[in-house]
Amino acid sequence: MNYKGRTILTAVVMAAVFSGLGVRLVFLHLKPKKSTLSRIEKGRYLKVKTRGARGRILDRNGNIFATDLAARHLYVDQKFLFEAGDIHRTCAAVSKTLGLSWEETWTLLDGTKRYVSIRKYVHEKKIEALMEGDHKGLIFERAAMRSYPKGALSAHVIGFAYNSGVGGSGVELTMNSHLQGNAGLRIGKKDSRGRELYNYRTVDIEPESGADVYLTIDQMVQYFTEKALDELVENYQPEGAWAIVQDVRTGEILAMASWPTYNPSRFGRTLEEWMRNRTIHYTYEPGSTMKAMIIAAALDRGAIGPQDVFDCENGRWVYGGKALHDSHGEGLLTVADILKKSSNIGAAKIALRMGDEKVYQSLRDFGFGSRTGVNLPGEEGGILWSPKRWSKISITRLAMGHEINVTSLQMLSALSAIANDGVRMRPLMIRRVVDSSGDTVLESFPEETGRPIRPETARVMRRLLARVTQPGGTGTKAAVRGYLVAGKTGTAQKVNLEEGGYFRNKYIASFAGFLPVENPAISIMVVADNPQGAHYGGTVCAPAFRSIADQTVRYLRISPEGLPTEYVSDLETDPFKK
Amino acid sequence: MKKKQRKRSRKAEVRIPFPRLLANVLVFVAVFGLSYVWLCARCDMLGREIKCLEADQQAARIRLFNEEDRWSNLKTPSNIQRALERHKLAMSFPGSRRIIRVCRNGLTARSVALAAIQ
Repeated sequence: MNYKGRTILTAVVMAAVFSGLGVRLVFLHLKPKKSTLSRIEKGRYLKVKTRGARGRILDRNGNIFATDLAARHLYVDQKFLFEAGDIHRTCAAVSKTLGLSWEETWTLLDGTKRYVSIRKYVHEKKIEALMEGDHKGLIFERAAMRSYPKGALSAHVIGFAYNSGVGGSGVELTMNSHLQGNAGLRIGKKDSRGRELYNYRTVDIEPESGADVYLTIDQMVQYFTEKALDELVENYQPEGAWAIVQDVRTGEILAMASWPTYNPSRFGRTLEEWMRNRTIHYTYEPGSTMKAMIIAAALDRGAIGPQDVFDCENGRWVYGGKALHDSHGEGLLTVADILKKSSNIGAAKIALRMGDEKVYQSLRDFGFGSRTGVNLPGEEGGILWSPKRWSKISITRLAMGHEINVTSLQMLSALSAIANDGVRMRPLMIRRVVDSSGDTVLESFPEETGRPIRPETARVMRRLLARVTQPGGTGTKAAVRGYLVAGKTGTAQKVNLEEGGYFRNKYIASFAGFLPVENPAISIMVVADNPQGAHYGGTVCAPAFRSIADQTVRYLRISPEGLPTEYVSDLETDPFKK
Repeated sequence: MKKKQRKRSRKAEVRIPFPRLLANVLVFVAVFGLSYVWLCARCDMLGREIKCLEADQQAARIRLFNEEDRWSNLKTPSNIQRALERHKLAMSFPGSRRIIRVCRNGLTARSVALAAIQ
């Protein structure tokens, strides 16, 4: 073929190619196929779902206990890194930032997969330098992580949330529906580099942050309580210890602590046992603290009077073929002294005077055998069998706090009823819930749940219980200088669940009380599981009670008459002389 | 012959006025087109501005959360306690003997309290 022929052929081929392209373009523009169109649209389609920040958890004074923080997931695009980046420099920077050894990071970058996850949920502040370091191939994906700035303080109440933004325990779980925000949605188009084309944004729903949950907890009272528990643990090495502080008039929980404790930020590395909120998850036989309720019920029903005398059989009494013992043998004791000296025999005889049905009904009225309704997950209801299942001696054992299982919150709630003129209040943990626009969506108010005893009986009981912390009582170590404290000690042998019966040398020690006696403001319960070296509630738990009470009354400005000091003018130095 | 030619050229020079309607339409189209282009450019600019502001807002929100978290951590009672100890400061609540209660208008404590509560 000559030159001219070749030129013509080339021209024809070129013309054919360009004509073909032209025709294709015309068809694409004028009458494109549906499949082609959808492929193009799919490539340009942009749909971004954004998670609203999880709400915060705050104490009654607005101190933040849980909040969401900005974090990043760190990935490596190995192809890009090897082709365009400086692998040695990047590897060194990543190791330094994340605290990994150079070898560890180097091993991760093995080149087998294009994308490798280096670490997820890294605090943005920590990774800031790496982000600004112009490391080619590093990808920083936005994420949110839960932060607990108070650490282990109030861990069992707050609980924890998973990284997916769902509550796992505590308030994080019960209030999950409020804490979770509403997800945002953005639909539009993107360019070839994946950048959003703002003009093509068709749907733009802003994510809505979750609501803030305000607790009834006070971080200072919580701190006093946890500190007192730490001291108790140091002195007596129990298997567990827990305490609650409650506002008597409103039922609000001011502090709730449990040991062993954990840091919610590291819940994944915590033993399940440590995450157990023993104040509501652990049921036990309360021992002598139950005598306060039995005697209150007997007084209220007119079965006994405060000055009635009972024969306490010098410490040993056989009833129903079984012997009942007192730790200190006593002869004749008044009802007041039975409570002060915590006589098992005296309490058993008082219960017998009431009869099975009345004892059962009274304990029910005090809230035993059913959940208190506190806004925390997994609350136990305890065990209180009906009289049909009782043996002959059951009533005598119930009077001293055996054959009944309670949680410490139930026990405190019952004692608070005595302190609150016979009115039982629902324990409150959530004060209010405020949404992201500042509107209150939920508010808790004090709620009465029953009146197990009359106000007159409550008044008498308060004075009887005050004698427990006076010289000669079992709870003298709970006395707070300048205040009259009412309370009751409890020491119960632990139930042996494997072999039946009771352990000979394992005890649950407790002290429950309130102050000031004449106008109670706060009630406190301290429990220790199997303390070492001593096992009486008056020895193990009463000092912790005093430590909490002593600091709390001064912090909350509770005067010896039980009123905030700003209301008080000419208080006598000793209000109990009245 | 020349006269004829002059006449013809004079005829040819007769100007036909540009149709006003067409002119208006063209002007309208031109204005409309320019307005459209200007609006597009303006929208693009606003879009970019909004995206910048969105990013700023997000950054500010993140910073606020970080600072709140840090401040809350600093205010933790155990941290305050540690700070006090570091600076060798011993602080405690006053004992009952160190509290002076002041009489107000000669009223008793109970009556003042009751009045306040009511």
